[in-house]
Amino acid sequence: MLRTAILRSAAAATRVAVRPVPQIASRVTIAPVMRTTSFAPKAVAWQGIRCYAAGGSLDKEEVYERIRQLLAAFDKVNDPKNIKETAHFSNDLGLDSLDTVEVVMAIEEEFSIEIPDKDADNIHSIDKAVEYILSQPDAY
Amino acid sequence: MAAVSAYRSLLRSARLAFQGDTRMLDAAKQSIRQGFRDKASLAASDPTIQPAIQHALDVANFLKTNLVQGKRDGTTYKLRIHEHTERGDNESIKLAGNNTASMGGVKCCSEK
Repeated sequence: MLRTAILRSAAAATRVAVRPVPQIASRVTIAPVMRTTSFAPKAVAWQGIRCYAAGGSLDKEEVYERIRQLLAAFDKVNDPKNIKETAHFSNDLGLDSLDTVEVVMAIEEEFSIEIPDKDADNIHSIDKAVEYILSQPDAY
Repeated sequence: MAAVSAYRSLLRSARLAFQGDTRMLDAAKQSIRQGFRDKASLAASDPTIQPAIQHALDVANFLKTNLVQGKRDGTTYKLRIHEHTERGDNESIKLAGNNTASMGGVKCCSEK
C-alpha cells in the first residue's frame, strides 16, 4: 500500500513539475532539463511527507487484529481457535475474572490509553473492547 | 468484585512503580498473580478475604506513593520521583506524631 502511494505521489509530482516548465522556459533561457531535475526531488519529498502525516485513526479491523494477536499470545486462553470477533472472555475463551483484568490491562498498554475502572468492568468480550477502543480518540 | 478492583489497582501501581524495569515488573506481576490465585478458591463469605483485600490495597498504595526508582549515575543516584510519590513538607515535621505522612505505615524514628 505504501509503495503504491509513493509511486502515485511520485507520478503526480513529475506531472506537476513538468507542467510549468514550458511557460517559464519561454521567458527565462535555462535548459528545461535542468529545471525539471531541480524541481522534481523537492515535490516528491513534500508529497512523501504528506503521505506519512496522513496516518488517520484506527479502523475496526486493525483494532480487532491487534486484540486478537494479544489474546493469541496469552497462555490462559483455552483455544486460539475460539478467538472470534464476538468472543466472550469467560464464556468462550475460558478466562476467569482475574484473567479478564489482565487482558484489559494488556489492551490498555497495547493502545497506550488508561481505561477507568468503571469502563474496564464492563469490557467482557472482544467486540466490547473493540467498540471501546474505537470510541477513544487517544488510542493508537 | 472488590477483589477484582484491588487486583487491578495493584497491577496499576506495580506498572507505575517499576516502569521501565522489566525484570522487577515481571517479578511483581508474578507475585501479585500468585497471591490472588492462592486465595481465588475461598468462598465469598470467608472472613479472611476482607483483610486480604485490604492488604492488597495497602500494598498498592505503598508501591504508588512510597517507592522511588533510583538509577546509579556515577557516584550519585538519580531518583524518579513522580506525581504520586508522597512528599512531606516542613510543616509535617512540626506535626510529628499526628501522622500526616503515612511513611508506608512504618513509624518514623521520632514517633514512639
